[in-house]
Amino acid sequence: MKPLARLLAKRLVTSLIVLIGVSMLIFAIARIIPGDPARIALGPNATQEQIANLRAELHLDDNIVVQYGYFIADVARGDLGISLYTNRPVTADIAQYLPATLELVLVAGIMMVGIGLPLGIWSARWRGRAADNLIRLVSLLGVSAPSFVWAVILMLLFAFYLPLFPIAGRISDSYAIAPVSGFLLVDTLIHGDVRAFGNAAWHVVLPAFALALSGIGQAARLTRANMVETYDKPYIEMAQSYGFPARRIANHYAFRPSLIPSLTIIGLDFAAMLGNAFLVEAIFAWPGLSRYGVAVILRKDLNAIVGTVLIISATFLLVNIIVDLLIALLNPRIRYSQRPA
Amino acid sequence: MVAPLKSLAVAALASTMLATTTLGALAGGVLRLDEVAVGEIDPAIASDYADSILMFNIYDTLVLPIQGGPGHAPHLAKSWEGDGTTFTFKLRDDVKFVSGNTMTAEDVVFSLDRMKAVGKGLSYLFANVDKAEAIDPTTVKFTLKTTYAPFVASLVRLPIVDKKVVMENLGEGEGEMKDWGTAYLTAHSAGTGAYKIVSHNPQEETVMEKNPDYFLGIPDPAPDTARLRYGLEAATVRTLIAQGEHDIASQWLPPEVIKALAGGGAQLLTESGTGAFYVKMNTTKPPMDDVNCRLAFSEAFDYGAAIKMIAVTDTVSQGAPSTGAIPVGMFGANPADQVLKRDLDAAKQHLAACKYKPEDFTLEISWIAEVPLEERFALLMQANYAELGVKSEIRKMPWALFAEQVSKPENTPHMSQLFVNAVTGDPDTLLYGMYHSSAAGTWQSPEYLNDAEVDKQLDAGRTATTPEGREEAYSALNARLMEIAPTIYGYDRQAVFAASDRVKVPALSDPSKAFGLDGMGFTFRLMEVAD
Amino acid sequence: MKRTFAILTANPLSLLGLILVFVVVFSAVFADFIAPFPEHSGAVVDFANFNKAPEWPYIFGTDLVGRDLFSRILYAYRISLILGVVVLAIAVPIGVTIGLVAGYLGGRTEYLLMRMTDVFLSVPPLVLAMAIMGVLKPTLANGMLAVTAMWWPWYTRLVYNITRGEKEEGYVLAAEVIGASRAHIIFREILPNCVPAIVTKMTLDMGFVILIASSLSFLGLGVQPPTPDLGSMVADGAKYLPDSWWLTIFPGLAILVAVFGFNLIGDALRDILGAEQ
Repeated sequence: MKPLARLLAKRLVTSLIVLIGVSMLIFAIARIIPGDPARIALGPNATQEQIANLRAELHLDDNIVVQYGYFIADVARGDLGISLYTNRPVTADIAQYLPATLELVLVAGIMMVGIGLPLGIWSARWRGRAADNLIRLVSLLGVSAPSFVWAVILMLLFAFYLPLFPIAGRISDSYAIAPVSGFLLVDTLIHGDVRAFGNAAWHVVLPAFALALSGIGQAARLTRANMVETYDKPYIEMAQSYGFPARRIANHYAFRPSLIPSLTIIGLDFAAMLGNAFLVEAIFAWPGLSRYGVAVILRKDLNAIVGTVLIISATFLLVNIIVDLLIALLNPRIRYSQRPA
Repeated sequence: MVAPLKSLAVAALASTMLATTTLGALAGGVLRLDEVAVGEIDPAIASDYADSILMFNIYDTLVLPIQGGPGHAPHLAKSWEGDGTTFTFKLRDDVKFVSGNTMTAEDVVFSLDRMKAVGKGLSYLFANVDKAEAIDPTTVKFTLKTTYAPFVASLVRLPIVDKKVVMENLGEGEGEMKDWGTAYLTAHSAGTGAYKIVSHNPQEETVMEKNPDYFLGIPDPAPDTARLRYGLEAATVRTLIAQGEHDIASQWLPPEVIKALAGGGAQLLTESGTGAFYVKMNTTKPPMDDVNCRLAFSEAFDYGAAIKMIAVTDTVSQGAPSTGAIPVGMFGANPADQVLKRDLDAAKQHLAACKYKPEDFTLEISWIAEVPLEERFALLMQANYAELGVKSEIRKMPWALFAEQVSKPENTPHMSQLFVNAVTGDPDTLLYGMYHSSAAGTWQSPEYLNDAEVDKQLDAGRTATTPEGREEAYSALNARLMEIAPTIYGYDRQAVFAASDRVKVPALSDPSKAFGLDGMGFTFRLMEVAD
Repeated sequence: MKRTFAILTANPLSLLGLILVFVVVFSAVFADFIAPFPEHSGAVVDFANFNKAPEWPYIFGTDLVGRDLFSRILYAYRISLILGVVVLAIAVPIGVTIGLVAGYLGGRTEYLLMRMTDVFLSVPPLVLAMAIMGVLKPTLANGMLAVTAMWWPWYTRLVYNITRGEKEEGYVLAAEVIGASRAHIIFREILPNCVPAIVTKMTLDMGFVILIASSLSFLGLGVQPPTPDLGSMVADGAKYLPDSWWLTIFPGLAILVAVFGFNLIGDALRDILGAEQ
């Protein structure tokens, strides 16, 4: 396991460097936003004196390098400042909204893998046949519309015209689930409330599916492409000529090697869903970090913008590290060689 | 084909509902409504409509507007007297905060001091208050810096907070009072109100429940629980109401959506008389610094199309035709039948008299991103002025950015669309902030108007102590504002709320029960909810 | 080139792609002639005909100020295509150059350039563009800038990986031995070997740029009215669901058609020109 630990350490260090870069980038962007955040925060009727006081309090009159210094010092203490939008600490806001987004993205990720991979495998197995063409067409369609278009279409079909699913929120009003992890699907089980779990799961289906659709398409397409490539390898042909069952060939000999490149891309796609959640959360009134992010960007809420982007980037990096480790576990050759970061 | 599936879904829904006995035992008695995000429960920060709903339910004020009529009735105060500069209130001695503490004059003084010290939200209403003193536990005296006749009206915006509880919960901060309890009060309530906070998430939902010890008692039919949800999409609200999952929609739904809801059997609640839709012209920026250009744009505005755009049904509309600078029903308003109309010929004459030629400028018309209806007005104006040969570009501005940009005349667009209300119900709080030269450059006053005659009448309006004197001042003001046209007076506004028929809200459906104050119709204890 | 085209037209799926893209480009270019109400792309209101369900002559219905949706979609295609072309025209040369330089030179240059690329890649693309649009005035030019800022790193990544492989190849070593300049090796020797992968990615990206741009304007950070824009149309129309469904469904499908078309062609190109990775 030692090389794996070294790989992990190396990835963590580069990720930290990248994260510092992200913080500088986003900090710079946030500070050149036109408009006076102090004035915006204090509201339309503030006096000059109040504005000056708040500006001093926020260090807005110092130069940007000094401001960044204060910012990093605060971050090191786990303090991201007060959101001027909700009047609460940014960390409190993030702690409240991030689990909702992660829950949505994780369920979408499971759908992406659970639906996308089998589709790709079938498609490759039935290469050239009608089923293959159908799957290819459908997965390409999935990739070809933004998630907000899918969200609108799914909502119209399965919440308006056929009211099979709820159209908004994470759980029905009648359930009061005290937050433990913030993940309703987990918390309901911790409280042993199976019905509440069912209700929360019922709420997450449509938004997660809308979010997952392009990922499902992407996963299916990649898996198919990679498997088709391995199908042409001599050992598969040999297995075929020995009369191994087609299903066994597909699952054992063709699928395993094609899993690795697919996983890499799926990891990236999964991370991209964190961004796309912005579009889906708006439509399904999902009280997550993305909706918060849009709101604070539109309101020039500097602390909250910086905090949100940092957290999303950190999650994004973390997911990529996990994917890299998974791949390393699956493939000894990669485990021991140096991967470009 | 849809019907059987629908009933299937309803059955599924019903079974999940039945299963829910944990908290849903009182399935009736829940009131669900929505507003734009975020909900702010700190009285010194609260400012917008959502906040007002919260304030009027979790806190109380010394006085309340009289339902269906002008003037104010005692509430936490038993009686008062005042001469325009000092006001003395006798307080009730039987009112308890949710904490169990008794409400006293100390709490009133503290609430005012805190409002002024925190300095956000509606604290500007009290800038003129020099001090408040507790004469004895049930007597409090306010001293103003200058005479201000409508002071009693502004007290509906001073929620009384529990001094003891706040002092026990001061957060981090400098000075003796540290943060004045803001960290605590943005997450908890400390009032005497008929409802108390169960949970509060500023971006998602505030849940409130009846305060069993409320000093006036709460009638049984009033909702046991109220859920104020934030930031729901129009389409979501529309479906939730149709499916019986929501009770009162916010006023910000576009007219078409309210129309669709009314068509599906929803009742329409209304609130009117305190505000108007205005298109404000930046009088410091060419060509708006020439009164003839301003008059041209006022005359060319298609008032009729605007009214048509906001009509919900044949009888209910989000507004009534404008008659001038002051909404019908307030001091100084013109008669309701003298409606403004488009006059393209007059507009052309004014434009010809203007020192700027249409080919020399491009108008910047802004609209507030949070109010989609304004985009349509922007497009309407763009088309109206194209008929005069005037080019224009449309700019969408989020509210926060707008409020910041107007603080400098050079950043303020030529035209800003605004819905402005009298925050205390008194015309002074509508007009002074918009037109007095000393108040220029706030979100209400992007006109940057500086007119001696206007200033004079505004001051007369706030110092005159008789109704006749005020009527006279505001009539003169109205005439002057029509003459110099700093603003296009679009229409008198009426808020329309689509609601399910399981709720009864007399204050929003019976004019004799209306409060004449924005948001006060949402006093939950006066509502009825069917089980 | 001719051969590629022949293969493209032989496959029914890529033929469909060609047709879709042709239709989109044709409608954008000749919008003035096809659109039944060309003036509706600008400052026009017609309150006599607002919010109408699809019916002749408004085959896609009208919007909330009475403008013909079909005409507006044609003009919106124009904006989308311009945006796509400009973004790629800027992002590709930048991204490719950085990728080539980093991959070929290696060492500290590589480390610096690739970490910088990672910074851009580790902010979710939409978030970065939103942050940029949050700063700038929402105009078409700024929209293109924001999308470009998030697009180039993907080309850097792609070209970097290819370059690292190619620089050990015989022809590069040979060029080094005869003393060719670095610029010559990078742009004359290595670059041509990256072209198939770049072209394939560009075709696929044309669709994705349209998609991202529409997402930005969906969030209210796109071009301003009265300029027609597919993403804003979907966003604005979504408030009126389900009653005025045409306001969202047609612009949504319009995005789907354009992106689908480019993806079909990109897919086929990938098969013909060799795998991307």
